[in-house]
Order: sequence, then C-alpha cells, then structure tokens
Amino acid sequence: MVEVTELRVVGAPEPDPPPDTIGAIYPDWESVYQDNVVGIYQLVFRKVGNAADAEDLAEEVLMHTLKTLRLPAPVNNVRSYLVKTARTVLADHWRRHYAARDAADELERMPAELSANPDASDRAARLLALLPDNFRSILELRFLRGYSVREAAAELGVTESNARVMQFRALRKAAELEGEVLR
Amino acid sequence: MKSSADRVAQFVDDLLHRRRPRRFKASPEEAEAMGAAAGLAAARVGADLPDKAALDRIHKRLSETLNEGPALERRFSRRDWLRTAGTAAAAVVVGVTLDKVATNQQQSAGPGGPGTTPGTATLLPDGGSWRPVAALSALPVGHALPVSTAAVDAVLINDGGNISAVSGICTHLGCKLQPDDANRKLNCPCHQTAFSWSGKVLYYRLKAAPANLPLIQSRVNNGAIELYVV
Repeated sequence: MVEVTELRVVGAPEPDPPPDTIGAIYPDWESVYQDNVVGIYQLVFRKVGNAADAEDLAEEVLMHTLKTLRLPAPVNNVRSYLVKTARTVLADHWRRHYAARDAADELERMPAELSANPDASDRAARLLALLPDNFRSILELRFLRGYSVREAAAELGVTESNARVMQFRALRKAAELEGEVLR
Repeated sequence: MKSSADRVAQFVDDLLHRRRPRRFKASPEEAEAMGAAAGLAAARVGADLPDKAALDRIHKRLSETLNEGPALERRFSRRDWLRTAGTAAAAVVVGVTLDKVATNQQQSAGPGGPGTTPGTATLLPDGGSWRPVAALSALPVGHALPVSTAAVDAVLINDGGNISAVSGICTHLGCKLQPDDANRKLNCPCHQTAFSWSGKVLYYRLKAAPANLPLIQSRVNNGAIELYVV
C-alpha cells in the first residue's frame, strides 16, 4: 500500500449534508469503518473497475483519513474528508500507474458521490442509450454480455481489429457523453 | 507496436476477467476511454459490492495499524467496562431479568466488518427459553425485521444468510429503532443515533456515546426464528 504523503483539498464544493446526520458524531474508528467502508469501496470501484485496485484504494482512503482525523468527530466532517481523500488517492493512482494527468485532474473535480450513492447500473444504461447504435452494440456485447473481442467481432460481422477500434471509439464517446450529459 | 485500441482492449479484457489491469503509460485519449470502461465494468450487477474477504482484510490491516497491536490482545478498557454497564442498564429498558451479561472481547468478523466489537454484550436472561418470533421466510437476505415478545423488542437481521438479533430499543432513552436496510443500519428517530446490524454505535448526536445494543441469542428451528427470552 502506498501512503498518501500530501493531501490537497481540491475539487467541487460538497453538497449539503443529509439532515439525519447533522450534528451526529462518530465515536471511534470502527464506527467510521463500518458506516463507510462499502460506500468508499463502491466509489473507488466505479473509477478503477476492478476489485484488486478497489480494495487497495479503499483501504488507503480509510487508513489516511483515520490516521489524520481526531475522533470523536462529526459524521459530516468525516464523510467529507473521506471523499476528498478518495479524490486525491484516485487521482494519484491514475497519475502513478498510467501517467494520466488529465484524467487525474478530472478526478480531483469529481462530485462527492458517497452519500448520493448513485446506481451504477442505471447510470450505465442511461449512458449506453445515448450512444450511436454500433457503439452501443459493441459495449453491450463486451460489458453486459461478457463477449470476448473475437465473439463480439463475429456477432457484428467485422474483423477483430475493427472491433477493437470500434470499442476504443465507443468508450471515448461514452466518456465524452458522461462528462457532458450525465454530470 | 500496439495501437491505442489494442492497449485499451487489453485493459477492458483485464477488467472483464476480474484481473488487476496491467500498468502502462496511457495517452489522454486512452485514459479517457479506460475511465469509461471502469464505469461500465462497475455497472454489472453487484460488481461494485466488496466481498466479505476483502472487507475482512481491510479491517484487519486498519485494526493492526490503528489499535497499535493485534485486536485480540487489546485489553478490556475502563471505557469498555462503562459501556457494558450501560448495556446492563439497557437490559432494564428491554425488560429482561439478567442472569448475566456476557461481554464479547473477541472480534468475530461478519459481513461488512467486525460482527462483535469490544463492549458489545449478549443478554442471557434468567429463566429464559427459546420462543419463536417470526418465520424465516419473512426475513429475506439483507433485511432487518423488528419483532416484539411480551418481554423484548428486538430486531432480527439476515446478513447474507446469517440470522442474528439485537435489542430494538435505543440505549439512550429507549426509543424504538427503525431499520434502514439499504445502509445496513438501525436508526433511532429520537436523537439521530445509528447502530450497525451488529449493535455497534455508528454515530450519535448526544454529549456522550450511548452503549452498544445488547445482542439477543437467536436460532433457526423448523423454519422459525427463535429468541432466547423470558
């Protein structure tokens, strides 16, 4: 696990906290862990797409937050700090492993999703519905039906090489739409 | 030499085979596509839910660092003792005559983290017996169900097929707890206190932390959930 050495507080302003937690206090780290571990894991999973990285990064977010914060502490302060830490940890992950500076900067502007807990399936369905037919088809075959590139190419009547290019373009279009339409 | 489409296809293959993706220097366009791929991989039903083993590993590593030593060697602190005393007081609220309050010192990890945390206690009523309180079929996986007997208000919990029961009464002023299944919590409507399914205080809005909820012994017998109560 890689420690976060510097925590920059950046990103979009936080939404108002839900009324049920205003003034509420976490007594100890176990409480913070139990109340947030699944939410943090889901938040990071949606940005890395695999369980191994999601586990490491969720742990990193919790570890950094719990080592930094003095408890007892207000629930909303802790959650806000967790999300800010998650942005930094995710941005660091994309910079470190993929040299992806733009993607990392984008992650640091990510809205706080911890409490909103959007349904990833619903979001993906809305996104796919916005794509042109051939782009939607390749992504549905790959991500929803688990087809290999070879199987998807056969289904669509194109070469494997064309299927890979179509997938790349479809993902770029999806990223563009996600930024413009679904935000 | 591989093209952008090839490198992104490899990344997608790794995600779809549930492998940690290979690292490489990605162009901004590739990173954009990979970000969208991660979001779509998370959209498969249940894909973004951590499994129990992952949560156990995270909890163990946090515990080793934050408790400054293995959890099992942690000594029973005065704070834990006070909480147990609070639990005994809470037993009066739930109307149980106590033979004894068993304090669990061991961390038995359940789904979502530690099942029993230090300072959590199990009610063992004097003269108790097993009483059916609900049909097992009335409690689907992932749900909590408030039940009442003449003596106890309890909440039954089905956590991944494991049935357990905790007191259904807030240890602060005795308000009835309301299950919030989506967040695996029991909420007190009076002062915005929340408890986990294992009875641990998650957060509170009081000057001092209330006691954890007492556990109530439960079992499944002939399709019925039974509690050990008076």
